[in-house]
Amino acid sequence: MIHRLRRAAMFVVAMLLVVALWEGYKAIGPAKGGDVLGFGILPRTNDQVMPHVWSMVTGLFDPAQRQGDQTVLSVVLGGAWYSFRIALVGFAGGVAGGMAIAVVLTRFRLAERAILPYLVISQTVPLIALAPLVAGWGGKLQIGDWVWPKWMSAAVLGAFLAFFPVAVGTLRGLKSPNAASLELMDSLAASWWRTLVKLRFPSAVPYIVPALKLGGAGAVVGVVVAEISTGLKGGIGRLIIEYSRQATSEPTKVFTSIFGAALLGLTMAAIVACIDLALMRNRPKESAS
Amino acid sequence: MSTTSGAGSNATASAGTAPNAVEIAGLRKVFNANKANAVEALVDVDLTIAPGEFVSLIGPSGCGKSTLLRLIANLLDPTSGTVLVNGKPAAQARQDQDYGMAFQQSGLFEWRSVVRNIELPLELKGWGKAERRARAHEMLELVKLGDFAGHMPWQLSGGMQQRVAIARALAAHPPLLLMDEPFGALDEMTREHMQAELLQICARTSTTVVFVTHSIPEAVYLSNRVVVMSPRPGRITEIIDVDLGSDRDEDTREATEFYGRITAVREALRGIEMGAGPRGIEDR
Amino acid sequence: MSDRGSGTSALRTAQLAQVVLPPVVFGVLFFGAWELLVAAFDIKPYFLVPPSDILGRFLDNFDLIWAAMRVSGANALIGLLVGAILGVAMSFVLLRFRVLDEIVTPLSIALNAVPIFVLVAVFNNMFAITSEVPRRLMVTLVVYFVVLVNVARGLRQVDATHVELMKSYAASDWTVLRLVRVPNAIPYFFTALKIAAPLAVITAFVSEYFGGSQNGLGNKITSNLATSKKAEGWAYVGGACLLGLAFYLFAVVLEMVVTPRGAGDRAERGRSGA
Repeated sequence: MIHRLRRAAMFVVAMLLVVALWEGYKAIGPAKGGDVLGFGILPRTNDQVMPHVWSMVTGLFDPAQRQGDQTVLSVVLGGAWYSFRIALVGFAGGVAGGMAIAVVLTRFRLAERAILPYLVISQTVPLIALAPLVAGWGGKLQIGDWVWPKWMSAAVLGAFLAFFPVAVGTLRGLKSPNAASLELMDSLAASWWRTLVKLRFPSAVPYIVPALKLGGAGAVVGVVVAEISTGLKGGIGRLIIEYSRQATSEPTKVFTSIFGAALLGLTMAAIVACIDLALMRNRPKESAS
Repeated sequence: MSTTSGAGSNATASAGTAPNAVEIAGLRKVFNANKANAVEALVDVDLTIAPGEFVSLIGPSGCGKSTLLRLIANLLDPTSGTVLVNGKPAAQARQDQDYGMAFQQSGLFEWRSVVRNIELPLELKGWGKAERRARAHEMLELVKLGDFAGHMPWQLSGGMQQRVAIARALAAHPPLLLMDEPFGALDEMTREHMQAELLQICARTSTTVVFVTHSIPEAVYLSNRVVVMSPRPGRITEIIDVDLGSDRDEDTREATEFYGRITAVREALRGIEMGAGPRGIEDR
Repeated sequence: MSDRGSGTSALRTAQLAQVVLPPVVFGVLFFGAWELLVAAFDIKPYFLVPPSDILGRFLDNFDLIWAAMRVSGANALIGLLVGAILGVAMSFVLLRFRVLDEIVTPLSIALNAVPIFVLVAVFNNMFAITSEVPRRLMVTLVVYFVVLVNVARGLRQVDATHVELMKSYAASDWTVLRLVRVPNAIPYFFTALKIAAPLAVITAFVSEYFGGSQNGLGNKITSNLATSKKAEGWAYVGGACLLGLAFYLFAVVLEMVVTPRGAGDRAERGRSGA
């Protein structure tokens, strides 16, 4: 209990430290930026690019548009909520797909040998580069009467980025039971399916949980990047781009939108943490993390 | 029945002026002292170990045998009482590297070759490169691993790793060797083999050994004296002399005296389990 | 003797074939099916472009793609180097000052869940319009936290027996650092580097979507797509993949050169414990 309180207190201290660094640099740094040894690497500190922290806070409640009654905060929260729903769809799709392929690869050794190298390589390759390509499907692709909605591209990209870590983690987990456990199931004449359900999946849980964390973060990244690279309206990604262009007139808006993106990521992480708690109850603490 | 002697008995009788290898008086150790979860790990421990002796510490888990070893090694500080090693305070003895230590895990550095692992204590003593390389090879011969100098630890079996750890512990020729269940993770065959080798090495180098173990036959086979300890709080309940002579070999394990001593130690341990209650009749 | 030698080498060839053949066959089938599908169903280029087209455009435009790879690659490399150096330096500071560790570590973990690359929107305004610094700064920041978290863990999570052993030698903190903690942290460093190297490329390249200079891979992909040069867009994506792979291989080779065989096992253990 004391330990937890201390950790929470330390987190607050960390945030205060970040604020202090921000304000500290703003106080001593050059207003128009500067050079170190001839490299222009000192950031500008004027109020347009580095507003005071307290003006960021008051900026939350400014009207988002000249003659609107919506505050910046409510617009940003709305955008984050919109992106969050897309990310959730993508996450669910990616997890389902990733687990399915892991089961298939566990069942068929040949398939594993053929496909696993690609799964490994996929983690080193910027799949995110596909964002603008997939986003191009929006409004154009038509299957029968059904037109591919624009948000779907973002969801597909989120699913895509969630898919690979989940597939790799689940596969590793499904293969984790030791020979003795597998022999036990054999000795009980358990079918392959029952072994999967009763042994392989439960053994895979400690591997799936960290994969879900990566996958959740991946889904968020995929959706935000898709929105940014295509300017999908309504989401937090688009708001960040829009507001960063308004920095000279309303400098705090872009920060609000960035906090919105952070909130989006943390909410997704919280959901995964709840899944973690649910799955890992009755398990030794060490194997969690 | 058995000729057991009381705690803190006759071992002080050592010839000459050489200081005792270990001298413990009135030792007490409390973990988390002055807190709600304070644990009395050791009370009233008096023990004297003469140079060249082989002494085993045995007892159920929680009896403080590892704690006692760590107090001798000065890896822990006593709550009260004194520990002298080679006639000096334990802290000074640690500074002077007056003892070598081997653990249940070999604790080899996996990024160093076998020979460089053995050189480690010499390196810390500031020996020159050629000198310590020569000594390390000498030690490797002693533990019969002369051909494995350039190997990495993970290329060796568990028993070989443990032999490297013993070579490392003895590299600086310390007069005292402290061993914390060094053969606990080995299989029975390797274990017996290692015990025989350890006795040979100690005889050749005339090293004093304090040896923590769970195994009754191991304690009896190796030791001149077996110190039996009991838990809650950890203390010495009995010290049993083992007179099996100095030339112990595989035949020793089948000798009647060997079994007699094993029975003595077992009875001492059983007394702990039964507490103050009546002795069982199932004394076999 | 030679008989046995050739026997094992034949065996090894068979094993190699078992490892190499399935993925190669799968790759050929995959791209073949892609090619055929596009042709058979007359799929429009805004949906899919046949791989033969992509390869053709890649070769035709190689000079342009190479130039774009160099821009994004330079940003990723500079950020990777600076971030790794700062991350390693900071992990030593955290080891020395416990309190600071308690402050920084939860923050680093929380940042893992946050899409921090959006900060580049702020960095862009902080520097001159043509400056590459915002993107490099972004890569540095991302790499920094990956390296910091892993190396700090490697310096701390040392074998308890090693620590006791060093204490029995009355070794100083500095000696323990030099002989135990640093060697222990090296596999963790390379684990971090293998994660951070491709991440640096991804970050460098996503950062370009936020505006700024117009010559990197990210910009080329969007601008080509906007002018409906779809196959060129895909070719630039291929360039991006090559760059990511090259960075990853760089990290792998560096690890093989620096650490002796077998140390990698420990890195794997470190990773699975993470």
